Amino acid sequence: MLEIFGTIGGNALGLPGLLGVALGMMTRHIWLAALMGGLVGIVETFLFAGWQFANLEMLELVVAIVVGVLAGCVGCVIRLKGASV
Amino acid sequence: MADRPDNRGMIRRFWDWFWGPTAVLSVGFTLIAGFLAGIFFWGGFHWSVELTNTEEFCVSCHTMETNLGEYRETIHYNNHSGVRAICSDCHVPHEWSHKIKAKIMAVKDVYHEMVGTINTPEKYEEHRLQMASAVWRKMKASDSRECRNCHNFDYMDFTLQEVRAASEHQRAIDSDMTCIDCHQGIAHRLPPSYLEEYEKVLEALSMTPSSRRLAAADHEATQFYLRSRSE
Ligand code: HEC
Ligand code: HEC
Ligand code: HEC
Ligand code: HEC
Repeated sequence: MLEIFGTIGGNALGLPGLLGVALGMMTRHIWLAALMGGLVGIVETFLFAGWQFANLEMLELVVAIVVGVLAGCVGCVIRLKGASV
Repeated sequence: MADRPDNRGMIRRFWDWFWGPTAVLSVGFTLIAGFLAGIFFWGGFHWSVELTNTEEFCVSCHTMETNLGEYRETIHYNNHSGVRAICSDCHVPHEWSHKIKAKIMAVKDVYHEMVGTINTPEKYEEHRLQMASAVWRKMKASDSRECRNCHNFDYMDFTLQEVRAASEHQRAIDSDMTCIDCHQGIAHRLPPSYLEEYEKVLEALSMTPSSRRLAAADHEATQFYLRSRSE
């Protein structure tokens, strides 16, 4: 449990969370925002695993993708709410 | 709260103001202000996290003093090269997301401090094996990442090491073993029956399908090493 909370926090304050929101703010299409956020999650996990499949932790990958997707959506909602273009 | 009209009105007005277009500020002004606020916020956040990495901070809980005392007798506190490894060097990862994760998980330290899980030397010794086991589990799963921030097999000159160290390190490379497999108790006193507990950690970890890197490690070699040492 603690492990999962920690992983979520690390991702929310890391690349998936921050870059996810930023990328989400660049589009008005929520599916595109979610996709970009999820991609950041995947790329980040691979980056930290040194691009090696063997080093990949399943839990970290899943959490990173979920956080990325959510962050992308939040960014997109900010765009929809806060910009008229 | 929500049914007090004046209160709701205030939140409502703030909300509308927050999302409304700026009539008086230029885009440039808003961007620069936001950029500066971001720098200050992030800098401050980072600085506070670093403060929780100091020895003073760890030992501000008197329960951590046992470990401080033991560690002060070891090579990582005083050595001929004058490079010191402090608590956080071995216990807190450097990579940002791993570091935040470790800090969030340390919330349980605060809880255990309040309920007094280890507030007497007797309780501490009773609990030590369990705590050590948690640390081993983390280190084994991360391939002793924190040790490798300073040490690396690749940078070792085996011709300068003692014969036993050099041959064991060669073996470690060959069978994918990691520092903590052999160097338990590098900074603190070991509880009795630590070898049995370490074997349990190994077994529990090799069960988890996610840790594929561990599956690659040669568990028999590790177990053989542990047994040869306990004899
Ligand atoms: C709020 C007081 C407090 C502070 C500050 C504190 N600790 Fe602890 N620590 C505890 C308590 C209480 C436990 C026992 C918790 C348990 O049983 O899991 C503990 C357990 C541990 C453990 C073993 C258990 C595990 O899960 O890893 C390590 C290692 C540790 N602390 C390292 C540190 C380091 C390094 C620091 C400084 C960055 C630190 N502590 C700061 C109170 C504290
Ligand atoms: C901050 C850097 C740092 C970290 C992190 C660190 N070490 Fe060290 N280690 C050193 C230094 C410096 C020495 C002493 C070198 C000297 O002067 O001989 C040392 C010495 C050692 C020795 C030699 C002991 C002896 O009696 O000669 C061992 C074994 C060792 N470290 C293992 C570890 C392990 C295992 C970890 C991870 C839990 C670790 N180190 C983490 C810096 C570090
Ligand atoms: C197969 C077991 C094994 C593994 C794995 C292992 N070591 Fe060692 N290491 C030893 C033995 C045995 C010695 C010599 C006795 C001692 O100092 O405890 C030693 C000695 C050392 C020394 C002191 C060398 C000297 O000649 O002064 C250092 C530093 C060290 N190890 C660091 C590490 C680090 C860092 C790792 C992980 C990258 C590691 N070891 C992994 C078994 C191992
Ligand atoms: C050279 C690396 C290193 C340093 C420096 C270090 N530790 Fe540890 N610590 C370990 C290892 C490895 C373990 C796992 C148990 C073992 O092998 O002794 C551990 C275990 C612990 C535990 C679990 C209980 C126990 O005794 O096993 C606590 C609590 C702890 N450390 C706190 C601290 C504190 C506080 C400091 C700073 C004063 C510190 N450590 C400095 C490597 C280190």
